[in-house]
Amino acid sequence: MKFDVAVIGSGMSGLMASIYLAERGVSTAVVSRGNPICSISSGCIDIAGSGPDTLKAIDSFPGEHPYHKVGKEALLESIEYFQELMSKHGLEYDGDSRKNRSILTPIGKRRVTSLVPFTMKAAETADGDAFHIISFKDIKDFFPSYLTGRFPDAQVSVFDAGTHTTVGIATKMDNDDFLVSFVNWIREQEIARDKIAIPAILGITKTREIHDRLERDTGRTFFEIPTLPPSIPGLRLYRSLRKIAEGKGVSFFSSAEISDFGKERKKILGLTIKKPGRPDYVDAEAFILATGSFVSGGLFSDRNKFSETVFDIPVHSPAGEELFNEDFFKLGHPIEKSGIRVNDRFIPEDSEFENLFAAGSILAHSETMKYGCGHGMAISTGVAAAKHAEEYIR
Amino acid sequence: MRSSFENCIRCTICVEECPAFKANPEYPGPKQAGPDAERFRLDGVETVDKWITLCTQCKRCDYACPYGVDPSKLILKAQIRYVTENGRTLPQVLFANFHYVAVLGSMFSVITNVITSSVLIKRLLRSIGLRSDIPFPRFRFRTLQRFRNQSAVHKPVAAAAKPRKVAFFHGCYLNSNAPDEGRMILAVLEHFGIRVVVPKQICCGLPALGNGDLAKARGFATENSKELAKYVDEGWDIIYSCTSCGRTLIYDYPEILGTDEGNRISENTWNLYEYLLLLRDERRIEFEFKPVKRVISYHIPCHLRGRGVPYPAGDIIRQIPGIELHIQDENCCGFSGSYGFKEKNKHTTDTLGRIAVESLTKANPQAIISDCGSCRMQISNFTDTAVVDPIQVLCEALGIRTSVAGG
Repeated sequence: MKFDVAVIGSGMSGLMASIYLAERGVSTAVVSRGNPICSISSGCIDIAGSGPDTLKAIDSFPGEHPYHKVGKEALLESIEYFQELMSKHGLEYDGDSRKNRSILTPIGKRRVTSLVPFTMKAAETADGDAFHIISFKDIKDFFPSYLTGRFPDAQVSVFDAGTHTTVGIATKMDNDDFLVSFVNWIREQEIARDKIAIPAILGITKTREIHDRLERDTGRTFFEIPTLPPSIPGLRLYRSLRKIAEGKGVSFFSSAEISDFGKERKKILGLTIKKPGRPDYVDAEAFILATGSFVSGGLFSDRNKFSETVFDIPVHSPAGEELFNEDFFKLGHPIEKSGIRVNDRFIPEDSEFENLFAAGSILAHSETMKYGCGHGMAISTGVAAAKHAEEYIR
Repeated sequence: MRSSFENCIRCTICVEECPAFKANPEYPGPKQAGPDAERFRLDGVETVDKWITLCTQCKRCDYACPYGVDPSKLILKAQIRYVTENGRTLPQVLFANFHYVAVLGSMFSVITNVITSSVLIKRLLRSIGLRSDIPFPRFRFRTLQRFRNQSAVHKPVAAAAKPRKVAFFHGCYLNSNAPDEGRMILAVLEHFGIRVVVPKQICCGLPALGNGDLAKARGFATENSKELAKYVDEGWDIIYSCTSCGRTLIYDYPEILGTDEGNRISENTWNLYEYLLLLRDERRIEFEFKPVKRVISYHIPCHLRGRGVPYPAGDIIRQIPGIELHIQDENCCGFSGSYGFKEKNKHTTDTLGRIAVESLTKANPQAIISDCGSCRMQISNFTDTAVVDPIQVLCEALGIRTSVAGG
């Protein structure tokens, strides 16, 4: 099948790129090997740094950081675009991308991020601000005692949902009868605080309804605390973006292992997708590489060699530095700098192709862990690469 | 059936997609049932637990996994081993041999349909672990096979320059339970000037696999492949409409047969609508649709979703003027063929069915379509909205009046 642009990867950057393009009438395909890592993320949008001001943090990032190629204005615009899309879809993201805020993590520590889904809006509590905890009987992946260890004043009420997994409880929450019984149970509890912390299980599809109903019927404020994966807020984020893309006419090729690609001089012509039976072929005028970093499978490394897994583009890696040393788990490890180097138009510098653009965590020097810029990078470089791809095909 | 379980990094992305996991706390999910438990099974210890049978084989985990693990394959292997170690239950024997049930059911359809709805038989079914609270599919006497050699009723209207020839693999459901829809498919193919035959065939083998009988599945596959390979060798394409049969032919035949014949069948088998789109792209056929004013929700069967291509029937139906199409692919209907007929799976099946139908009916559709007969059966248990095969919409838009409809 033939498209104007084929985006490889269905994570944050790939989906944002595809939505941007499809909205402008560009026929777009997304080719991906499986569901993305963002579906098990906390669902929060980190933009930059850990201080109060995100833009100030970016000023201190090294010159090669992809944010400097995006530009601050375009960064803010792309995040605003993301917020608009999500609001229209019914999963509002709260916050100002120029500012950071702190949310409560499942181990009771605070973590800095910028935008949060509306279910975590009330998570930003001043120190000493008291809250009540609702947990679930035998729940895996959420342990209230971590929280009470740090907040000894917090009381815990435990509801028996008849199931013990976050996915199972969230599925039940989407059922009206179950929700009613849960609300009634809450009303019977002795809860001294106005704020209630709850693991992130407020439904998979009807989250808005569930959250609002809980607050209305109990008269309290609720906020979700992200859990260990499987992570419902991440799942909501991924499914929403994918639904938005589908609604705008993006075609999805999933379970798609790219086994080969066709090229002619400086152009990539099409992708071959290996499948049982016949392969599928996706041809396009331009391609966006948004396959992610090592954990997502866009990059691969063994002890001696780094490689890019689709087009075998040379990977920039911090040469001469010892990669596997005792500091492996420390922030700022040189492996985080590795990736694909791009020019100002997000075209990989070390490749021969003129119709290939790269976006997201595959980009060199992004160091998303160190700089706290994961989803912000994905969104802004995804949109930026899409703009350049659109310019190229016009 | 090999799968590289060592690629698993335990990210739980597969768990997020698993329908059985979200509905049934007894089932630990594809990560644990697949790659995690596989490490122990490799030791040869009897570690296949009973919960392994709670997996519906919807394949959503394979689709979700970014690392190529294919948990469903590991689970299927363990399910087969579980049945081998623990013996077959009566429902498993019954459904592994569903082909013969269907053939007999159709042959004596008048009697079968009466007795499957009788109270006594329902009580009997219940006593062997089958559900008696949902209708058994009605069997039809005029199966596709029975009249397969009769010539076409419809004259080609847009005969292509070089006519394509296809062999239609109908599977059990379209043959014995929904032969009218089967005939509509033949009529549509002929409408586009495509030469179509219905080769001799038996069950694709999927129910046998799903009920732990690999030998039987291999037997069915061998028999089918002998017949189908003849057509392939003479330049015919194999067309399927049942997305589970199609998946079995394409994905499973090469592995369970392990022969070149299996590969040839896999490479030359096409989804009906994908095939029509291909011919359209090659400008061999043109779509000329009459307007059909209708709001339609399209339930994507898991086994179509697993193909990983944009949904071909949706792509065609969307082009019919007047149609408002809502695609729903996030929910498994929960029935999964014989799985849903078993009493022990009732809770899982019903929970998932209710979730799927709730989202399908959200847009207030006048009809719900789905390629899969088993999905259609399940959906119609939860709604009064008409649940039909996509071919019915296509026939209407093409102005094909089928004398068979409703007969």
